[in-house]
Amino acid sequence: MSAAGSFRSPAVGHAIPAYAPAPRLSRVVWALALLGAGAAAVGGLASPARLWAGLLVAGLFLAGLGLAAMAFVAIHQVSGAGWATVLRRAPEALYPLAPLGGLLVLLAIAAGGGALYPWMEPGPGSGHGAHGAGGFKAVWLRPGFFYLRTATYVLLWAVFAARLRRLSRAQDAAPSHAALRAANRTSVLFLFVFAVTLSAAAVDWVMSLEPHWFSTIFGVYHFSGLFLSGLAVVTLLALGLSRPAAPLEGLVGEAHRHDLGKLLFAFSTFWMYIWFSQFMLIWYSNLPEETVYYVPRLTGGWATLFVANAAVNWGIPFLVLLSQPAKRNPRVLARVALLLLFGRWLDLYVMIAPPVLQGEPAVGAAELGPLALAAALALWVVPRGLAAAPPVPLADPLLAESVHHHG
Amino acid sequence: MSQRVLRAVFAREEDLLPAVRELRARRYEIADIHVPYAVHGLDRAAGLRAARVSWVGATFAFAAAFGIMAFQVWTSAVSWPLDVGGKPFASHPSFVPATFEMGVLLGGLGAVAALLVAARLYPGKRVELVHPRVTDDRFVVTLAETDAAFDAAATWALCERLGAVEVLEDLMAEERR
Repeated sequence: MSAAGSFRSPAVGHAIPAYAPAPRLSRVVWALALLGAGAAAVGGLASPARLWAGLLVAGLFLAGLGLAAMAFVAIHQVSGAGWATVLRRAPEALYPLAPLGGLLVLLAIAAGGGALYPWMEPGPGSGHGAHGAGGFKAVWLRPGFFYLRTATYVLLWAVFAARLRRLSRAQDAAPSHAALRAANRTSVLFLFVFAVTLSAAAVDWVMSLEPHWFSTIFGVYHFSGLFLSGLAVVTLLALGLSRPAAPLEGLVGEAHRHDLGKLLFAFSTFWMYIWFSQFMLIWYSNLPEETVYYVPRLTGGWATLFVANAAVNWGIPFLVLLSQPAKRNPRVLARVALLLLFGRWLDLYVMIAPPVLQGEPAVGAAELGPLALAAALALWVVPRGLAAAPPVPLADPLLAESVHHHG
Repeated sequence: MSQRVLRAVFAREEDLLPAVRELRARRYEIADIHVPYAVHGLDRAAGLRAARVSWVGATFAFAAAFGIMAFQVWTSAVSWPLDVGGKPFASHPSFVPATFEMGVLLGGLGAVAALLVAARLYPGKRVELVHPRVTDDRFVVTLAETDAAFDAAATWALCERLGAVEVLEDLMAEERR
């Protein structure tokens, strides 16, 4: 670190100013936290189950952002892609959200128990765990094993988040091939662990809300929405950090925006593809044990949300981002990214809330409180993560390539 | 009708990009640039406008998607209504896979076809290389001699100063511009 809060890198011609959070930020965090806590208390008193479902949605949302950020960096590391190295500190600041979001989920599970997961209720057959179901589910869906798995996922995410960040920080002092190799190995390992733990977590935490229903594509479906929301936040951070007088001004340019826009466009379409793959096979074969998932979601007010989900996560982003200038325009990109974040919430809400609410969709204090708390947590963690490190990996061997990326 | 052109032949990508920028800054009309592989940033340096071939591809894709959807509705609900598992005759979700695949297929084929038509490429076309090594390791910038004020000798010298290893005078068919 050189004079007056700025950094020098051999790959960058000018001094890079350090990241400083906006002075108002802590007030916003406090306001969100207090509002969120108040709303959660009010909503929880009226309907505890709705609050725990809301907390589950908020926890999964946060954990997904952290996991998607880790996967984003790991994929670039493993494939040797250099274009995004200059904006790598943005996803890295999101890493802690993976275990923190996981802890929120753990809290929702512990507090919600049988109100969320019917197989946890004592009842016929529940001595074997699975709400009267036998076989594999009876073994898999037992509270003790369930908590053990949940703790394992969260612990693994915490370990990888810390290690991946430390290996990236190792590139700040001097280019280190040992650190690069270690980061590659850890990234490969993480991608395996991520694929298994995320699929299992999606099945455990979301699919077992309706324990008789099953979908073999559910893990991939959950990944598609998770990665899309992570890309949206990375895009928003990259745009915010490259505004005038921000640390990445002049370093993150049109070509980086174009690539982020292409990724948003591609993964929005991927989400739609996977979403539809799940829907169409169940709709077409029309078996009661499978359609039981979609019938309530296509009834009453849920049907509107069901269609809106597809429009928000794919229809609008697809049409808006189709042209090249739109993918490069920061204002258009920021709006699409915000829309996709709303879409991620809607997707999770339509996944999780119907079995808890039973009747018509409702969004009130019980749903918005946990969301405000999660937003406060993210706004507290992410700027601290950004401020704790130089704004770019100063001596990373791929930084020069990334800075000179012109599409 | 053909036009006199000057072809500046470069041996290195590192010389090509600054040379193209310099020639454009001096208001030369660059009729074409031939390179053995896609050079990053060359489209921007040459001031090319965004390619329209992607819009041709998109038009084909949307037309194909709407067309095949309409065709499936016609075969399943109009021409020969067929009851499949008690579903409506026009059951759109089951028509989506073919709609998606035809959109992708014709979008891709349409874009390639449009490119071949625009570049006047067809099977059996006689090879017209602007330079024998342009498919190997040479980068060729073609400058149009736009009017009487075009100073061939000065341009020649400028190209050599910019790193051209060879400069040729050539004729180019007018319609190819």
